Amino acid sequence: MQDIYITGGAMTRFTRHPGVKAPELAQQAILRALDDAGVAKGEVRAIYCANVLGGMILGQLAVRDLGFDGIPVYNVENACASGATAVHLARHALLAQQYDTVLVFGIEQLTALGGGTIPLQRNDHKTDLYATAGMVLPAVYAMRGTRFLHERDAAPADLAAVAVKNRFHGSLNEFAQQRSETTVEEVLASRMIAEPLTLLQCCPSQVDGAAAVVLSRRRGGHGRPVRVLSSAVVSGKRERAHDDILDAEITARAARQAYERAGVAPSEVDVVELHDAFTIAELLYYEALGLAAPGEAVPLLRSGATRLGGRVPVNPSGGLLAKGHPLGATGVAQMVELLWQLQGRAGARQVEGARIGLAQCTGGGIAGVDHAASSVHLLEVAA
Amino acid sequence: MTPPSFALWSDAPEPSLLASRDLQTRELLFPAVPPDSPLASRHETVAIASVGAVYSFTVIHPAPKSGEAPYALCYVDFPGPVRLFGRLQGAARPAIGEPVAVRRDERFGYVFESVRR
Repeated sequence: MQDIYITGGAMTRFTRHPGVKAPELAQQAILRALDDAGVAKGEVRAIYCANVLGGMILGQLAVRDLGFDGIPVYNVENACASGATAVHLARHALLAQQYDTVLVFGIEQLTALGGGTIPLQRNDHKTDLYATAGMVLPAVYAMRGTRFLHERDAAPADLAAVAVKNRFHGSLNEFAQQRSETTVEEVLASRMIAEPLTLLQCCPSQVDGAAAVVLSRRRGGHGRPVRVLSSAVVSGKRERAHDDILDAEITARAARQAYERAGVAPSEVDVVELHDAFTIAELLYYEALGLAAPGEAVPLLRSGATRLGGRVPVNPSGGLLAKGHPLGATGVAQMVELLWQLQGRAGARQVEGARIGLAQCTGGGIAGVDHAASSVHLLEVAA
Repeated sequence: MTPPSFALWSDAPEPSLLASRDLQTRELLFPAVPPDSPLASRHETVAIASVGAVYSFTVIHPAPKSGEAPYALCYVDFPGPVRLFGRLQGAARPAIGEPVAVRRDERFGYVFESVRR
């Protein structure tokens, strides 16, 4: 199969960007990514824009004044997996030799919504009924947390330890929203949101940001070539009466596809960026991604293997918990972080000698499925 | 909530929540498939048992400025089998495995109520 490369990437800091309009925010990432890839605008033959809540044709709005001269712009929405889905679709087009080089960017301005949890997609009897009763994404993850503490040899402090780890990583990342370290005691003492999840166990909801990558059939850019080994996007199956909510089936399925297509085993992965929207999620995804055997997520965390300096650092960027989660930008920003990690450009949070990176994100917001979408990408840097 | 175009409850003397049983797979779907749905002919309407067991739960703590008191949300497994999500009324906090009954509620359509002795 033809190799597809990420030849450049950039992102804005994920934080509040008051008064900044979408085009300016997106362009900050886009222009730096093009520069990083060393491509002229005329070499980009199509553009993919990932966004969830920013309104129609945001992609065309963001690039209108950049001189791309009318090339196709595709707007992609798949909830929190929008950015990863855009990369997936861009790769399809490159593999089909439709284009040689494309730009993918993600953008979200959650501060424009005024705070609070992300609204569910209520154009559905079941979701409307459940949302009226109080279903929101923190509640869905919290119920997983309750069940986890019931079934596993785990304590609330184990959930909190995920936030402590990722906030430490975020303290080393100038692009992260949360730059201060925290402790288990502080995490557990922060305001209760949805038991057992406290405020510091939930990704910040007031954040804006943009990220961009250049994908190409040709090597290029400034660093060692980074290849997309595999790319999987799957959708959630309808929930069944006896589903185990600790089994992140949709993510495990996406991961199996990605590993199989890449010919890579989970033990070969050196660095992971995963969808830690809530602390419990990171523990469940350790198992779904094969980083830990079933039931072994907490021992893996306690061992320090997923901390910087460990065997397989998870979320060295700070993850969603510390870096922030501007929905449409998240999946693209994960690619940017892996690009920098694999090319040895991650500064104080560098995972030494990382060769293979994995990015995973999931999109939710409807009732009746585990999640609506899940995506796993595997990237490799040339020796 | 938009008023549903279908019945949540049966009109029997002792009303039950309604689900749809897929005629091929025998799986239960809640809420019931609306009668005007293209899928209606593939399902039959059945009553859900009145008592189930809490599978998992959370207690939501609304922001202090809202003035709203904490409330519990549950997944409850009913014979059928079928799993429902909803609010728990009348108990400080649920427990996994605890039996709860379902009853009508004007605001939410239905709620769960502890039947702990």
